[in-house]
Amino acid sequence: MLFFLSVLGTLILSALIFLWLNKKPHLAEKKPALPEPVAPVPEFKEEFSSELSPPGFAPATPAEPELPRYYGVDRLVLLARDPYWLYAYWEITATKQEEFAAVHGPTAWAGSQPVLRVYDVTGRSPGEQKVASYIDIGINEEADNWHINVGEPDHTFYVDLGRLFPDGRFVTLLRSNTVTTPRASLSERTDEEWMWIEGIYRSYRYQFGLGSPMFAEEMAQRAGALPLGIGSPGQWQKE
Amino acid sequence: MPDKGYLALVLHAHLPYIRHPEHEHFLEERWLYEAITETYLPLLKVFERLTRENIPFRLTVSLSPTLLAMLVDPLLKERYLRHLDRLIELADREVGRTYHTPFHEMARNYQEQFREARRVYLEEYQGNLVNAFKKFQEAGRLEIITCAATHGYLPLMMVQPEAVQAQIAVAVNQYKKFFGQTPKGIWLPECGYAPGIDDILKKFNIRYFFTDTHGVLFASHRPRYGVFAPIYCPSGVAAFGRDVESSRQVWSAKEGYPGDFDYREYYRDIGFDLDYEYIRPYIHPDGIRVNTGIKYYRITGRTNHKEPYVPAWAREKAAIHAGNFMFNRELQTRYLNTLMDRPPVIVAPYDAELFGHWWYEGPQWLEYLIRKIRYDQDTIELITPGDYLERFPCNQVARPCTSSWGNKGYHEVWLCRANDWIYRHLHLAAARMIELADTHPYAGGLLNRALNQAARELMLAQSSDWAFIMNTGTMVQYAVNRTKTHLLNFLRLYDEIKSHRIDEGWLRWLEEKNNLFPEMDYRVYSKEYETA
Repeated sequence: MLFFLSVLGTLILSALIFLWLNKKPHLAEKKPALPEPVAPVPEFKEEFSSELSPPGFAPATPAEPELPRYYGVDRLVLLARDPYWLYAYWEITATKQEEFAAVHGPTAWAGSQPVLRVYDVTGRSPGEQKVASYIDIGINEEADNWHINVGEPDHTFYVDLGRLFPDGRFVTLLRSNTVTTPRASLSERTDEEWMWIEGIYRSYRYQFGLGSPMFAEEMAQRAGALPLGIGSPGQWQKE
Repeated sequence: MPDKGYLALVLHAHLPYIRHPEHEHFLEERWLYEAITETYLPLLKVFERLTRENIPFRLTVSLSPTLLAMLVDPLLKERYLRHLDRLIELADREVGRTYHTPFHEMARNYQEQFREARRVYLEEYQGNLVNAFKKFQEAGRLEIITCAATHGYLPLMMVQPEAVQAQIAVAVNQYKKFFGQTPKGIWLPECGYAPGIDDILKKFNIRYFFTDTHGVLFASHRPRYGVFAPIYCPSGVAAFGRDVESSRQVWSAKEGYPGDFDYREYYRDIGFDLDYEYIRPYIHPDGIRVNTGIKYYRITGRTNHKEPYVPAWAREKAAIHAGNFMFNRELQTRYLNTLMDRPPVIVAPYDAELFGHWWYEGPQWLEYLIRKIRYDQDTIELITPGDYLERFPCNQVARPCTSSWGNKGYHEVWLCRANDWIYRHLHLAAARMIELADTHPYAGGLLNRALNQAARELMLAQSSDWAFIMNTGTMVQYAVNRTKTHLLNFLRLYDEIKSHRIDEGWLRWLEEKNNLFPEMDYRVYSKEYETA
């Protein structure tokens, strides 16, 4: 497979070089790519009319639109991708960096490492979150996003992006929102609440025993049949 | 007590908004034309025939707002007819070319199908397929539900609940315009659910949505009936979970019905098979070979060797498979009746485009199934979720599990290394749109138009289809371009609005090009937005 890919890569590269060396208008036009979908690039087939007609009000959008790399907004956004992974992206503005330098000294940035500190705050009230456990992930200076393997379904996390000094001091630059990873198995909670909906909501609550027998049976029957690629259904199959 | 159960068949029809006035022949626009000819018209034909013969049925159909917008768009309607005319011309030539070959019968079938499509489209429906579907809702046969405005993947938009609110608000407003009532239910794009989405649905009086199996099964409290009864979110909105067994029978290309050796082979299309000079007038004008929709082979076997398609064999199989599907639902119902103290509801959702387009015999299968359910048994009854909730208004309360029906069951398809870069832009744009809505409660004139167009551009960038395509690895450049272009349009509009320098010429061009949701009201992004 790898061999195939590298051969393919070489082929593409040589094809590109070939195309570049032979760059003529008709070649550029006939490249196997799909017609430029969005940007109203002039069609060379209708060279005559397009050159004579006035440019109209259609703007000359560049063929390869490029989005801004930075927006000048300090932010660290956390998303829960699945029961085991988080995804974070961020932007640190120059202002933020300067503030950091002003407080910690001009060499502090270079003398510290960028770190993502992932806090597990499952079941904690906002007041208790300071004592939460955390793990540090060392990242590189250029990174502006990260896939984080937490491996904990139904847990609640937030992330700090900061600088770690050699003496162990950690200075937070940005703090993320809080997210909860999805469950990957049946809930242990078997108490039931029922609700009628007839315009007005009435509900009552009662305790139900230790899981209905139907479930054991049904689960055994369906084990492994869930259309999920990860091992979660198998995990409760073994139990 | 006699055995009793319900079957809720759900067809989700959706295509992303693809409309390129700047090119007469745009490859991706063909998706719509193919879906009309191969899926929507054949399904409507089934509904017509069953109705004419007085055979009752109840189905749920979700029509996504982008699809509805395309179905009524005058330019796309014109282009569809031109496309169909070319196809008819090709089919006519094929009838001659295949004379005295085993393909002749199919060539005549295609000729007949395409000519019939043209007649029905123009004469029976006057080019308005939305009204065609509406007719069956009013006749009590379909429960038409909505979907998020541009099929945005909502769980990853919940960073800003107003962005989700806007997707729902626009969908509901469009639904009211087309169907004259509030949608009872919604198809969450890709079955993507996360806590809090139901609170927004509640605000719009939407009573139910669907999740994948584990969305209900892994709910906060163990659901007593598994996926065979809905649960209520704490907000009171119902969640129906997908049944695994009925899904696999239809969905799986390998073990499911569509892979039967007598069925039509999708991947052998004359657009690729026939001599270039012959087929050239009917493929893309740049000479790119495309699927024409004319296919002569059956799946035959697991190898590349293919034999000619035999319509009678395939029809026979469709009938057998419909019988098998029904038989399995009866078995399932009988089994569940021993475990439950109320009739189970088996929820079987499918992409509508599977029927006819991918699985050519799908509409036939559906028709056989409906007829058999009517005449050959009395255990299962077709039902819609709306009807179910009226019969069973008391349901267990639990918070569904965050989930989707994508690969691995969560968000990875739409948030992986191939597409993760879009979220920093999409979220920022959504934050700016919310800011614009909150700071302009009463805009009029040109400003109002710019704000509405900004909302359209943002929504178009949010279509889950782009992230999905980036993940699958084909047509990636198109998806990347669409995402970037709409975002750039949005960012420029934002700057123009903020600096009071709206370029009207450019705005008018955008309004003509990305013209969906003419009733757009940017205030749907406002934190204070109140539903009408």
